[in-house]
Amino acid sequence: MEAEEILEELAERGEFIVIGRGVRRFDALDKALGRAKFTADYVERDALVVKVVRSSLPHALIKGINIDEALKIPGVVAVLTAGDIPGENQIGYALPDQPFLNDVKVHYVGDPIALVCAENEEAAFKGVEAVEIDYEELQAVYTIDEALSEDAPRIHGGEDNIAVTTRVRKGDIEEGFSKAEAIVEDTYETPYQEHMYIEPEAAYAIPEGHDKVTVIGTMQSPFLVREKVAGILGWNLNQVRVIQALTGGAFGGKDDMGPLVCAKAALAAVKLGRPAALILDRDESAAYSVKRYPARIRYRSGADAEGRMTAAEVDITVDCGAYANRAPFWLWRMTAHAAGPYEVEAVHVDGRAVYTNKVFGGSFRGFGDVAMHFAVESQMDMLAEKLGLDPLEFRLRNVLRPGSRTTTNQLLDHSVGIEECLRGVAEASDWWNRRGEVKRIEGKLRGLGVACAHHGISTSRGAPDWSAASLILNEDGTFTYRTGICELGQGSQFGHAKIVAEILGAPLESIRVEGPDTDSTPNARPTHGSRGLMLGGSAAADAALRLRGRMVKVASEMLGCDEGDVELKDGRAYDRRRPENSVSFRELAREMYIRGVSPAAYGFYAPPRRYFDPETGLGVAYPVYTFAATVAEVEVNPETGEVKVVEVWPSMDVGRAIDPLLIEGQIHGAIAQGLGFALTENLIVEEGRVLNPNFKDYVIPSSMDMPRVSDVIIVEKPYRHSAFGAKGVGEPAIISIVSAIANAVYHATGIRFRTLPITAERLYRALRGEKP
Amino acid sequence: MRPLPRFRVHRPESLEKALELLATLEKAKPIAGGTDLIPLMREVEVDVKHLIDLSHIGELNFIREEEGYIRIGATTTLSDLVASELIASKAPALWEAAASMGSPQIRNRGTIGGNLCNASPAADLGPPLLALEAEAEIRSLDERRWIPIGEVFAGPKVNSLAEDELLTEVRFKTPPQGAGSAFEKIGRRRAVTLALVNAAAYIEVEDETCRVARLALGAVADRPLRMGEAEERLMGKELSEELIEEVSALCGRLVRPIDDVRASAWYRREMSRVLSRRALLKAWRRCAT
Repeated sequence: MEAEEILEELAERGEFIVIGRGVRRFDALDKALGRAKFTADYVERDALVVKVVRSSLPHALIKGINIDEALKIPGVVAVLTAGDIPGENQIGYALPDQPFLNDVKVHYVGDPIALVCAENEEAAFKGVEAVEIDYEELQAVYTIDEALSEDAPRIHGGEDNIAVTTRVRKGDIEEGFSKAEAIVEDTYETPYQEHMYIEPEAAYAIPEGHDKVTVIGTMQSPFLVREKVAGILGWNLNQVRVIQALTGGAFGGKDDMGPLVCAKAALAAVKLGRPAALILDRDESAAYSVKRYPARIRYRSGADAEGRMTAAEVDITVDCGAYANRAPFWLWRMTAHAAGPYEVEAVHVDGRAVYTNKVFGGSFRGFGDVAMHFAVESQMDMLAEKLGLDPLEFRLRNVLRPGSRTTTNQLLDHSVGIEECLRGVAEASDWWNRRGEVKRIEGKLRGLGVACAHHGISTSRGAPDWSAASLILNEDGTFTYRTGICELGQGSQFGHAKIVAEILGAPLESIRVEGPDTDSTPNARPTHGSRGLMLGGSAAADAALRLRGRMVKVASEMLGCDEGDVELKDGRAYDRRRPENSVSFRELAREMYIRGVSPAAYGFYAPPRRYFDPETGLGVAYPVYTFAATVAEVEVNPETGEVKVVEVWPSMDVGRAIDPLLIEGQIHGAIAQGLGFALTENLIVEEGRVLNPNFKDYVIPSSMDMPRVSDVIIVEKPYRHSAFGAKGVGEPAIISIVSAIANAVYHATGIRFRTLPITAERLYRALRGEKP
Repeated sequence: MRPLPRFRVHRPESLEKALELLATLEKAKPIAGGTDLIPLMREVEVDVKHLIDLSHIGELNFIREEEGYIRIGATTTLSDLVASELIASKAPALWEAAASMGSPQIRNRGTIGGNLCNASPAADLGPPLLALEAEAEIRSLDERRWIPIGEVFAGPKVNSLAEDELLTEVRFKTPPQGAGSAFEKIGRRRAVTLALVNAAAYIEVEDETCRVARLALGAVADRPLRMGEAEERLMGKELSEELIEEVSALCGRLVRPIDDVRASAWYRREMSRVLSRRALLKAWRRCAT
């Protein structure tokens, strides 16, 4: 196809115009000045306040819901329950196990039962307190072992509490272990992680006439929100208009929470014929919104005398909480990445996700790969030690290379840069000289740890995936670009603009990005799976290339030269042979409009089709993988057990760096988030109740806890099937930092933690001989 | 969280006026920075109809040295304390405590009077002011009294003031030349963190002998505690690392911490020992001999 040739030509030219350069984002100024508008900024004063009546019990039958007292409170306009839902009372993501408003049974503390709609917050609050729920309490299930026990109550009926299972059977596992010189086996557990995005979940719904509703909200998948809202209302998709407001942090959580929150506001607005807003409080957000799924991994792996991996046998259990939500995708991701970014001939994986009566898990940056790599990277360190090898050297002997096959036997023929990442961080951190002995500085112990990561981009297995975008050349030579990919702080939209600018030779400031509005922006599918730039940007490239073809054709006629001699640069079309001969994009645009040449283009992109066999777990699990390696240095204070992360050396194979500043931003943020998961973040859930739903006691790191971050080593192994070869960055950034810290703590102290977080008290106890 | 209750805000510009409002209005509460009160009102039901904002009363905002005392007005912010040369040089324990609190935004709003009247067992200004043997001036329309700082604390989040009383000033004797003081804290991150344990020490040394030793710990009981027994073991002795180690171990036994979501009582005892030693050593090193 011609378009691909042009893109290839652009990708191969020695110097790019904007790609690869760090450029100040065009949303930076408004955000810094506080002028950027988020969902709550759109809510009018007379909007109805919606508050959720939630279950106070972890597992119970609902015998009755009495709203009479609530309705007597001045200012309470209505209390909506399941019976008020015109569409289907079901909002499960992967499985239909999740009622939108519960009227039969509740499955966790916080399960929604009713919506109080009131004139103000005070009345709404009193209304929620006044709704009486008559429960018949049921025995609750809190742990994986309880969920799997024979006599456990079945949370969603059926034969057991297992929501989904997975398996991989690759190679001969017995033979693999028989070749092993060293075998290590252990069990790893990772806890919940709460996103703690600075902006809590919010939605504002405005009824438009009698049969349409507009919903403004904080989200990651506007078209999924549209589908879910339409389902609850029993409406067609085109009766629901969803606008994604700038989103104040998402990290996956708002992919899942967007539909839940938007549908509640929309139901209130449509039922009552008035604008309605639902904004979660911090404690609601922290206690009842989705979390990183807790997981337990049993891992047995072996390597031969030459330090080559021979076998890995992995058993994964994911704790879903009350609903499956994303668990099938989460579990498949863990399953497909079970061997880590290493070549292992024989791999057997068995996975299951189980229900418990706790807050349900959901999307969170890294999506299962943080937990999986924590196990993998701990095992790699232990195997290296057993074989008497340096852990970095041991990894180098096993990393995936072009021509390697993954856990699921997927052949990686190109875009595999993990070896370069690993060598890069080894050199930058002076690993070979510094890893040796543990340094003691004023009684404190310094340790150096390494970890690798790989992360498949976008959706797992053979699930169809695609993206779309549109681009209009305006009469004045400027461009309006529309994408359904959301701005969540990460800057993907800006990346799209750079791709468009590069292809069209347009000044960046002449391109205006219009964010998601389901009535006008093409469906780019979700902003998750680190796909926003790779998938969304490739659709942008397609649109730009289509428009470019027409611009070049008209320009060649205006300039009186061959199309092949037309160069687009700095907002002008030049005749390459006579550069003084040129027209501006404004002149070119006017000419296109006059001649009736379409000035708009719709871009569409789909990665190559894949085949995956869920029975054997073999096949192409993801179109492409991003790779990362990290070295971390920690300082342990044996007097208190505190761990200070001193310095981090990050690297990543990003395919192609569209903007190094965006990559750096993602990596710095991920270091903070990973550091929190590794060391301090500890959601305390007792009998299904979250005891610390606040910033005071759910401890995320502050800027003062940030380590020195060495220059990011960017490795570029372009992916053949995306615009300029770019791959996703957001999620891979958090995976290796967690394990690198844990491995560094081991190096400093000789104590291996198989559960997280490594809090000061836990480490203090372990240093005094308690089992970690 | 609860919506904020409806209340009326009063902004008196004199102390007299503030005391009068407090004495006459029903369900009135003083507010300074609001960094504790506002979150509290969103957490639990607080029966309040009037808030009396003290931050416009100039006479409550000062730091000065007078007649052998360092005097600090109640609405002096934590940032004011951190910016004060006088506090930094004469009472480093108090300076370090203020500097360790919250974030710049919190320190710009939070006040010394508020931190004390909030009466959190973990109040960071508690231990240094106990170690400095500070006193608080308590005033109502018709009474004015000085109480030892420890008496402001009546229990977790409960102060000893009557409804119509205000804490208006904190004072302590200017430490003599050669005295040393220090503050130590362990939290769960490096900023914006509640103390798991905090500690402050004050030491005067003369002719190699410890003349005065005061040590106070926070977050280890229902209110900040003086370690009287430990202090006695130091006074009149020649200080050494061994002696300080021994006395610190005693502190680990003197405290009465609880288990909660932040830490176990056991860890708090261990940290009481560690922080006592650190604070005493640092204060001792600061004694110019």
